[in-house]
Amino acid sequence: MADPKKMSVADILAAARKKDSQGGDAPAVKPEPPAEAAPPVEASAPDAAAPAEKPKPKPAPAGKMSVAEMLAAARGEKPGAAAAPAAKPAAPKPEAPAKAPVAAEARPAAAKPAAKKSEAAAGTVDTSSILAAARTAARPGPVSKSEAVAKVAEPAAKPAKEKIVAPPMPAKPVYAQPKAAAADEDRRSFLAVMLGTAMGLGFASMAVVGGLWSLALARFMFPNVLTEPPSRFKVGFPANFPPGSVDEKFKAQFGVWVVNAEYNGQPQIVALKSVCTHLGCTPNWLDGEQKFKCPCHGSGFYKDGINFEGPAPRPLERYAIRLADDGQLEVDKSKLFQEELGQWSDAACFVPV
Amino acid sequence: MHVSPEAHLANVAHGLGVFYIALALMNSIAALYVWQRLKQTGTAIALTAFVALLAMVAAAAMGGMPPEMPAGVKAVINNLSGPVTYTLGTTVLLVVLFVGRKFFSQPLVAWAMLNASLVLMGLSMADSNFFSIVGKPDNVPIVAMIFLVGYFTWLATYRAVQNDERDKQGLPPLEAMEDEKEKVLVWPDLVYTELICMVALTAILMIWAILLQAPLEEPASAVKTPNPSKAPWYFLGLQEMLVYYDPWWAGVVLPSMVIGGLILIPFLDYNKKGNGYYTIAQRPFSYLVFQIGFLDLWITLIVLGTFLRGPNWNFFGPYEFWDSHKVEALNNINLSDIFWIKVMGQGLPTAPTGAGAMMKLWYILQREWLGFVLVIGYLVALPPLMAATVFRSMFVKMGFIRYMLMSNLLLLMIALPLKMVLRWSFNLKYIISIPEYFLNF
Repeated sequence: MADPKKMSVADILAAARKKDSQGGDAPAVKPEPPAEAAPPVEASAPDAAAPAEKPKPKPAPAGKMSVAEMLAAARGEKPGAAAAPAAKPAAPKPEAPAKAPVAAEARPAAAKPAAKKSEAAAGTVDTSSILAAARTAARPGPVSKSEAVAKVAEPAAKPAKEKIVAPPMPAKPVYAQPKAAAADEDRRSFLAVMLGTAMGLGFASMAVVGGLWSLALARFMFPNVLTEPPSRFKVGFPANFPPGSVDEKFKAQFGVWVVNAEYNGQPQIVALKSVCTHLGCTPNWLDGEQKFKCPCHGSGFYKDGINFEGPAPRPLERYAIRLADDGQLEVDKSKLFQEELGQWSDAACFVPV
Repeated sequence: MHVSPEAHLANVAHGLGVFYIALALMNSIAALYVWQRLKQTGTAIALTAFVALLAMVAAAAMGGMPPEMPAGVKAVINNLSGPVTYTLGTTVLLVVLFVGRKFFSQPLVAWAMLNASLVLMGLSMADSNFFSIVGKPDNVPIVAMIFLVGYFTWLATYRAVQNDERDKQGLPPLEAMEDEKEKVLVWPDLVYTELICMVALTAILMIWAILLQAPLEEPASAVKTPNPSKAPWYFLGLQEMLVYYDPWWAGVVLPSMVIGGLILIPFLDYNKKGNGYYTIAQRPFSYLVFQIGFLDLWITLIVLGTFLRGPNWNFFGPYEFWDSHKVEALNNINLSDIFWIKVMGQGLPTAPTGAGAMMKLWYILQREWLGFVLVIGYLVALPPLMAATVFRSMFVKMGFIRYMLMSNLLLLMIALPLKMVLRWSFNLKYIISIPEYFLNF
């Protein structure tokens, strides 16, 4: 494993996952020894022993495991760490000699001198003995996922009350550490950079063009000629609207129903706006059922415009209507009257009959 | 256009014959596969018998007499297609499929279900009302979507059931077994597949464009809305939501919440399992929440909006004529009406005429106090309650902020079916209704 280039894809994956599971700082495949932090001369035995011990927990169960099983072990900690050895109870014993070279290989080549010291301290490089030492000793430093699970599981095993423990925060990998700000950046030079460079020129011209466009758009909103029907129009004499009638003649051009109906017991002629108060569709007048019904979401309104079914939250709106001097009814669409605001009592929005 | 049943049968007989022949071919291939590869002779014989039956049906259809759904069955299905039975029925169906997923995800069972649905569709197509809705060019993608969603849900469930079984036995998931598939080259593997897909998709689109007429309508008019007026098919779930909520909520706030919640998923999810392989047992909560949101609150609502909502946005059974004069009494009332008028037996608290804005607001709050209590209790009091009971372990693992975000999003999601049921069962329109300030919930 000393040469990453010779490893298969699956091996790299397994190594990377193992490294990840050990807190991100396990130097199993790292080309540089821990000497970077502490010079080799001063490397004390525990310091050097730490990297040497790191790769152990995984290769041991991985002795006879296939790549796929190692992958699985790395993914789901529980089945991998607990079930795999259980599935092969006889395996570890005869594998012990075969594992030793694996452990030796796993050590980084450059770390050899430091590792020798640890070997001297540990006495032997036999994998199983190191493993046993690692397992028994309450060693400091980061723990692997399987060990963390074991530690958490122990108090949880008590039958008294299940204790839920939040998982620990994962360590930040190196690439996610905050970087020190570059020294030559200066917020005082920002303005000068923005104004004095080609980029500043570009932004300035963009702002000018955008401003002109906005002005042009604003002008577009107020055309010279409006080809809309007049907002104030005559609909005929009151006698044309017999009691109980809903006149749909003016819906197509003006969006108005002229209705002669009772509201609060008072018969009156009103001009209802033909826009649903739910989402603005145009309802239909259903003569058979005597109601306005919206085809979009099923809102329904009584003849007087009061909502009674479907999602419409409020009644239809009224336009202003009045009896003109020539005796005809005149609708003024510039004024709206909303029932829920109590505006229907305004005499400008109905003509009593 | 409404055609007579006889004329309709004559129209669709040939097409249905081709449909049944295709079905028979599909099943004969399946029978061959089962016999040769799976070595299940009994199943193969059953499939062959089914093929023979389909051949006879196809011959009858080609001869101008396609089999029809019995009128009694149609009437039962029409009656069952009410909003309450439809929603509860689809939910129960999905729950049954989920609980019995070990059985239903077996390939042969899934194959039988696919055949059953196709035969059901063939029988129903002989009905002119059903055909006029399902066969509408607008709705073809939705029919395709039903089968595609079914297929992909089956595929994922099938793999997940296998993986969960392997996990129980201590084996790694299937995806980890195929380690030689871990690395695939872009060229030729990916680009080649994409090229084939591109060519196939283009061919399908061209055939589609040739065979089906574009569903063009009369020129648009600002004062004439088509009846029924339907959103694009993928927004029909939202349109259905608009029936139960104020437009501000169903059109702006809740859709934004859906998008925001989907973005938040990676930050809310603390379960690291299920990465790179299918599983249900290892992430039951995430799986269920997603499937409720997707299958139950999105797909079934699209199907509902497409096939069951007719003129005036009324409910129609799948074999029912879309009568634009169907009378349905849907009078609904607000919670404040129920409380003040029905329970207390008095009028709504109304501000005296000429009162100031603050006084009016005070009367509005008085009118809607029960709604405020319910909504605030639902969104504020329920999450801590759930944290202490059902979501105890999730609360500890997620921490306060993530838990509150998750639980509030979940509650808002569940509020939709709750409001639908309240509307249908109690004719309840809005819990808080303040039309004066465009605030309704």
